[in-house]
Amino acid sequence: MSLVRPTPKSRAVRAKAIRSQEARAEAAAAQEHATFRGRWLPWLFLLPTLLVLAVFSYYPAARTLRLSVFRANLIVGNEQYVGLQNFAELLSSPVYHQVIVQTLIFVALVVVLGLTFALSLAWLASKPIAGAKFYRLMLIYPYALSPAIAGTLWLFLFNPEIGAVNTLLDALIGVKPRWLDNPFLAFALVVVASVWKGLGYNVVFYLAAIQNIPGDVMEAAEIDGASAWQSFWRVAFPLLSPMTFFLVFTNIVTSLFDSFGLVNILTRGGPVYGETGITTFLVYQLYEDGFRNFKTGAAATQAVLMLLLVVCIVAMQFRYGNRKVHYGA
Amino acid sequence: MKKLITLSLLALGSTVLAQGTTIEFWHTFGDAKRSDWIAARAADYNAAHPGVKVTAVFRGDSNETLQSSILAARQNKAPALVQVDGVSSQLALDSGVFQPVGGVKSVDFGDYLKPVVSYYTVQGKVNSVPFNSSSPVLYFNKDLMLKAGLDPKQPPTTFGGVLKACAKFDAAKLGVKCMALTPFSWLFEQWMSEQNAVLVNNNNGRTGRATSTNIDSAAGRKVYQFYKDLQDQGYLTNTGKLADTVGTNAIFTSQKALMTINSTAGLGNILDGAKQNGFQLGVGVLPIPDGSKRNGVVIGGASLWVAKGASKPEAETALDFALFMTNTANMASWHKLTGYYPVRSSSVDLLRKQGWFSNSPLQIVAFNQLLKTVPNVANAGALSGATIQTRTIIEQGMQKVLGGQSVDSAIVSASEQANAAIAEYNKNFK
Repeated sequence: MSLVRPTPKSRAVRAKAIRSQEARAEAAAAQEHATFRGRWLPWLFLLPTLLVLAVFSYYPAARTLRLSVFRANLIVGNEQYVGLQNFAELLSSPVYHQVIVQTLIFVALVVVLGLTFALSLAWLASKPIAGAKFYRLMLIYPYALSPAIAGTLWLFLFNPEIGAVNTLLDALIGVKPRWLDNPFLAFALVVVASVWKGLGYNVVFYLAAIQNIPGDVMEAAEIDGASAWQSFWRVAFPLLSPMTFFLVFTNIVTSLFDSFGLVNILTRGGPVYGETGITTFLVYQLYEDGFRNFKTGAAATQAVLMLLLVVCIVAMQFRYGNRKVHYGA
Repeated sequence: MKKLITLSLLALGSTVLAQGTTIEFWHTFGDAKRSDWIAARAADYNAAHPGVKVTAVFRGDSNETLQSSILAARQNKAPALVQVDGVSSQLALDSGVFQPVGGVKSVDFGDYLKPVVSYYTVQGKVNSVPFNSSSPVLYFNKDLMLKAGLDPKQPPTTFGGVLKACAKFDAAKLGVKCMALTPFSWLFEQWMSEQNAVLVNNNNGRTGRATSTNIDSAAGRKVYQFYKDLQDQGYLTNTGKLADTVGTNAIFTSQKALMTINSTAGLGNILDGAKQNGFQLGVGVLPIPDGSKRNGVVIGGASLWVAKGASKPEAETALDFALFMTNTANMASWHKLTGYYPVRSSSVDLLRKQGWFSNSPLQIVAFNQLLKTVPNVANAGALSGATIQTRTIIEQGMQKVLGGQSVDSAIVSASEQANAAIAEYNKNFK
């Protein structure tokens, strides 16, 4: 987003966008005041939502916070107060350091590759060509698969001895890569599988955003003699930035948390490299400790650390949300 | 949390007014073949005992089932009977929600196979009723053996024998790997037992809580060395994922490997695969390190535990059903269906009388291997609450060796990590 150099045109578009946005916000504010008379009425309407959130989100979150300062084993059913020892152990553990680093690399790769790929495909699929609808449908379909099914599919495809991929590679160029125990390949495989898995979601949103770009703006660019690349990069891309911004954050959160299903089936966190498995990401480590090794206290500590991470991400989202983004369309 | 809530909702829904006795049996078999068999036994039992109702419920994998049972027990909604994986026996004991079956009513375990009962006996008490039991065997492709000039009637029985056979097989250049073997801690445990070595201290955790492992030992090193030798010579293949027996079996049945080592419980599926791919399957005893006297295999599988929170009639019904499900005829039919051992001597006799072993000679290998096991501390198997974690550690060590690390450094660090995991678990009891 920061790569966009403001041109006179884009600046004009931006100013217009900001003006219309402000006008809309004012109208909305006026409407709000008009609807609710009493002070308690809005709270009354919010009550059902708050109740559901309290039971299913706030209460468990509070329990998790509490549990993070205990040594607890789910099976044994014990709770021993240990203060911040869980945090100290975790943050000084070389295993956890490696998990943090590989999670960050994984998230960065998935977000950048995923969005680049999705935007390119959505751009191509939005061209008026024969069968465009079919292409769009096919692009969206991986999203409909559950992570477990996607994981199983990839597992069969990349079985080094009998998988379709290696059978093909062996026949064509005589190599049979070790996809699941070569650390580099396994990591790359999980990244590519995650990108593929998220592609449908990203393409849908980009397609919608592309269709919302006003035709006159694109036409003006064309009349001004912009090449295809220029009209994409200088006009369309800035206009798509609210969508890109939204997708960056949803993709960060998805790759942080939803990578679990894929990893669990495809690699089980392996292969081992350095201190631990190279595809053991934060959420998988949490699962291992909490649900396979039953270390509930240690898992709660990790959940708290992940919560802090999400808080940082949300803070960033609010902070940068209005600066670099053009809400033009 | 979500699980807990669904669980409590389910528990509310299943509260039935005590008219006769109604109990639930939670098990871990999601596949139609095995869960249907269990449901049919529950139906048989209900038909024979009017006023009593046993409902068999599939509760997810062994970890999920144990977890659900314990959470339910903490809310006094425990299922009366639960199938618990052997590896989780110490966890089940430490949870305090189960009672030894001997305390419910006196049971004569004389007819149950000794090595099997010994696995589930802790400090003289039989804790649970043995149900599905298995051990590892060598599976081999007879057709490929013949092609390479090997004798399918004499499969290798030692590590050295395997390597020798592999050398000959490799020389035949069939473009097929010799051994499909996944880094699998269960096999490590079996090979420790065969060498009469304990896996954890305090007599495999049976005379006191285990505090350290015996991974870094001459016996343990021989196992790691076996993986290394196979890998260095280029004989070994697998999917690369830890403990991926499904993937390894698939490689073997697709005729991409001459041999594999796996549980007898997989015999049914491997046999199906061999038929589909059109080759003759052979089964041999588990190859063991050279120069060791066979000390026998450790029983893998699961047993049936009775909840402490169950009322007396419920607990008695639960135990009665467990004994019914493992009676002579039922265990024979279970064995034929799945490849698990029938856990009773009388079932073995029955199968012999029916001519089962002459019609399916493959099965006899596994039997002899088990029947020859004279129970002792090493082959009783290890009890430790950190076993699930130490298994992963052992497997990661194997993977390091396959990746080129020395046996020495891999096993030293595996041993350190496993000892730390056990110490961490034991802190729960201070």
